[in-house]
Amino acid sequence: MRPALILIALIVVAALAGPLALDWRYDLIDWDAVRAAPFTAGHPMGTDSVGRDLLARTLVGTRVTLGVAFAAALVSLVVGVAWGAIAGWRGGKVDEAMMRIVDALYALPFMFVVILLMVVFGRSILLVFLGIGAVEWLTMARVVRGQMIALRDRPFVTAAEAAGAPPVAIVLRHMLPNIAGVAIAYLLLTVPQVVMIESFLSFLGLGVQEPMTSLGILLKDGADDMDVAPHALLLPAAVLVTLLLCLTRIGESLRNRFVQ
Amino acid sequence: MTLLVADSLDIRIGDQRIVEGASFAIEAGRSLALVGASGSGKSQTCLAPFGLSPAIVQGSFRLDGEELVGAREARLRHVRGCDVGFVFQQPLTALTPHLTIGAQLREAWTQAGAPRPSRAEMAAALERVGLHDPRERLDQYPHRLSGGQRQRALIAMAIAHRPKLLVADEPTTALDAMLRAEIMALLGRLCDEEGMALLLVSHDLAAVADNADAVAVMHAGRIVETGPTRAVLGDPKSDYARALIAASPRLDAPPPALGPIGAPLVEARQVSVSFARPGWRRGRLLAVDAVDIDVAEGEAVAIVGGSGSGKSTLARAIARLGPIDAGEVRWRGEPLPPRKAMRPRDRAGLQPVFQDPVASLDPLWKVRDIVAEPLRRLRPDLDRMAVAARVEAVLAEVGLDPTLADRRPAALSGGQAQRVAIARALGPGPAMLLLDEATSALDVLVAGTILDLLAELQKQHGLAILMITHDLAVARRLCHRIVVMDAGRIVEEGPAERLIAAPAHPITAKLVAASR
Amino acid sequence: MIDLIRRRLLTALPTLAAVVVLSFVLMRVAPGGPFDGERPLDPQTRAALMAAYGLDRPLPEQVGRYVWRLLHGDFGPSLVYRDFSVTDLIARGLPISLTLGGLALLLALLLGLVTGMAAAARPGTRTDRGLMLGATLLTALPSFVVGPLLALAFGLWAGWLPVSGWGDGYPPHMILPVIALALPATGAIAKLARAGLAEVLAQDHVRMARARGLSRSRILIVHALRPALVPVASYLGPAAAGLLTGAVVIETVFALPGLGRYFVQGALNRDYPLVLGVVTLYAALIILFNLLADLAYGWLDPRARR
Repeated sequence: MRPALILIALIVVAALAGPLALDWRYDLIDWDAVRAAPFTAGHPMGTDSVGRDLLARTLVGTRVTLGVAFAAALVSLVVGVAWGAIAGWRGGKVDEAMMRIVDALYALPFMFVVILLMVVFGRSILLVFLGIGAVEWLTMARVVRGQMIALRDRPFVTAAEAAGAPPVAIVLRHMLPNIAGVAIAYLLLTVPQVVMIESFLSFLGLGVQEPMTSLGILLKDGADDMDVAPHALLLPAAVLVTLLLCLTRIGESLRNRFVQ
Repeated sequence: MTLLVADSLDIRIGDQRIVEGASFAIEAGRSLALVGASGSGKSQTCLAPFGLSPAIVQGSFRLDGEELVGAREARLRHVRGCDVGFVFQQPLTALTPHLTIGAQLREAWTQAGAPRPSRAEMAAALERVGLHDPRERLDQYPHRLSGGQRQRALIAMAIAHRPKLLVADEPTTALDAMLRAEIMALLGRLCDEEGMALLLVSHDLAAVADNADAVAVMHAGRIVETGPTRAVLGDPKSDYARALIAASPRLDAPPPALGPIGAPLVEARQVSVSFARPGWRRGRLLAVDAVDIDVAEGEAVAIVGGSGSGKSTLARAIARLGPIDAGEVRWRGEPLPPRKAMRPRDRAGLQPVFQDPVASLDPLWKVRDIVAEPLRRLRPDLDRMAVAARVEAVLAEVGLDPTLADRRPAALSGGQAQRVAIARALGPGPAMLLLDEATSALDVLVAGTILDLLAELQKQHGLAILMITHDLAVARRLCHRIVVMDAGRIVEEGPAERLIAAPAHPITAKLVAASR
Repeated sequence: MIDLIRRRLLTALPTLAAVVVLSFVLMRVAPGGPFDGERPLDPQTRAALMAAYGLDRPLPEQVGRYVWRLLHGDFGPSLVYRDFSVTDLIARGLPISLTLGGLALLLALLLGLVTGMAAAARPGTRTDRGLMLGATLLTALPSFVVGPLLALAFGLWAGWLPVSGWGDGYPPHMILPVIALALPATGAIAKLARAGLAEVLAQDHVRMARARGLSRSRILIVHALRPALVPVASYLGPAAAGLLTGAVVIETVFALPGLGRYFVQGALNRDYPLVLGVVTLYAALIILFNLLADLAYGWLDPRARR
């Protein structure tokens, strides 16, 4: 888990601070160096098919992708924990109705619903992450509800009731803290999925719009150009895969630690 | 002829020594009980030499003259498959869920190379272990059987290949109290009929008294005493065995001295509780059926019954910690408000202690905060200083070292955790304690000290007690009066001594028999 | 069992209906329509077009007519592919997408289960850790990265396999797309199978089987495998959704004329009936897969057969 944490930290720092240290902005075109190979003067990782610095674009693209991912994951955390906690605590009919809704939403082709929303409301980055957040809270809600139900029957919760703690205090002070570890683990497992969805949408031309960039757009451009400039595909691909791998690894080891 | 000889057996897991220098022997067709607290190494002693645990075994363990220590896995597998049968503690999970009872019995029958049995033969085998409708059982999946039925099926499977030795690791611990004696007797009878030797592992000295020829008492990885059962039970030589025997509550011990009884405290009338049936079928299950029960100040009342008798549901309904459908509960003559309307002073009077001590403490809270919670919420008259002082006082009263106050529950032993739970219950100064199987998850010696502590507290504070237990001997140790429940109704009640000496209802008689 | 299916259908059908109606209404109330292109149409032409496509009627009536036609297998006309109805486009694209997705699902199940079992048979060893790292890597490699990379390596550099087009179903054309589509699901299935087996192998009934002296392989296959596959079965629904989603990308990468291509074109050009038709169809497919997963449960675990 530690190497994964270090790698993630490096990528985040590079994405935030890296562009400042470079000679070229991500959207500036160097007319003298179109499709430059890596290690060209001024372009350490070369340029793309219209002569924009690939390293700068990759760093900015990583920043955008990660930003969208964390924002959407937070949305899913808030909605999922609230939904799951209410369903799990109230139980009975309320629980059944709330979980039926989750089941029904689960059965939807969500990717397509997000695309549908894009089509209807136009493509904005805000919508991208709202849409993704709306997709990803379902798993969180299920996990939190399951944990709440398991905890609700634990004697320490009954003991808190006997100690005069009102329901709000029981949920907030006894139950949610005991769920926090699991919720954080699933939050971290949500992030790679959101990264994937964002890249996917951008890849199809439905996500972030030019000249702003993201890892998905870079991959799309790289794939279109791969026969003449494979480095334009390999660099963003390497960054994306490293990110996904590290986030999954951290999330899974946390989950294994907290989920019995 | 000696069937099994263990000689200077050492068992290690990693760097930890689990068993040191254990020696014992079993004659063919005879039985030996290994008795000790959890963690004493008794289970490892009978599992590790057969290759059923990752532990490292040294010394000597010979079955029928063949040395098993150092034997290869393939050889051990052959020995397990042909010469030995095993019965474990958890019947609910020990059967493969997706195979029918018949398929699993057939597999066990043929594991030592016997020809495939006919359905009639298999049905006879199930009938022999006391399963009704054996032919139907053959086609059923395990989840259709109750715990006791599954343990019978498992016993049938364990002896289907006619082993020379049956190893039974706590075979009755997970079962309902009334079933335990029956299953024990069944094991003994089968061993007699088949001429099988029995290696029985148990934490309960009294339970093995009638069912083992010899006893080996284990403590901290060593066998501290061994001998014929009657000799060890009647005249223990080692300090540990003596303490163990003294700590187990017995029905034939002299009656305990109990405190005086005062005015009526709790009067419950026509209490009914029902639950929605599991699954999707409509309808409700009546768990408690119009029960009346009274407890006076300073009086200790035990509700005794098998699992599913509704005893715990009734107690929780009275304490407003569980659902209630109908009925009235009066507290000192005043009607107690419903669960959601309980005021702090209502709660302060009646405090619970639960079965699983570690699970009843919030794992993230420190002992100090756990004990302080009911004080802060139920005693608004106490300021912060007073709460802190009260926490110190009750921790001292239950015999806990003040340095434990900054620990979290995971760092406590079972006995310490239960003392914390008792301290928490005592904090607000209740008039009555609800003890829900408060000692049954603890080792015999620890349970004994907790029972002593509760008896002492009851006398000192004149506490009323409502105790839920399946064990009449535990009930008698603490209680003036015993109420016997079955299927949601009270079937018999009366003074403890009278009820035990002359049980009128068959259920009571069964419970008395199970506690002997 | 039949009761279970009936109950599931009772949830599934309203879900499907809700998807159709909500999507339809969303589409209609959305600002901008298919005729708001770069070159504004004169109002008369526009009105005529709206009337021709029935877009001038009240909303509930439009919904009703759409659902009624849907029940007769008519998804309406495509607004972008003017000469085709949506039903035509689905009839052309669906077989390709289903072949792709079906083969990928089979490949993923086969590879994933074998990998998961191989890892769980030797827990904690180097084999186990290596296989699981590989599986994690596969799940972290999106198909839109794997696709181009495979095309680059086996198509453009090695020249072994075609990288573009369907070739009228000529098998070599399928190999790279199917592999690219299957790999992420393979990783996920391998991890689920490994976790499921590890959990089951630690359970009491496996200890019981070991105590009976049964061989390792018999314990693994007869006593442990079926309950261990429950998590894999519950993954079938999400897997189907993932494969359909992945197919959209794979069809774009390998220039396959599948349903996903039409969907993306429809989405980019605001071809409402097309997008709506595909979403409805996909929702139905995913609901079907969830149903299959439920049936699989019943076989894997008799306790679920209520």
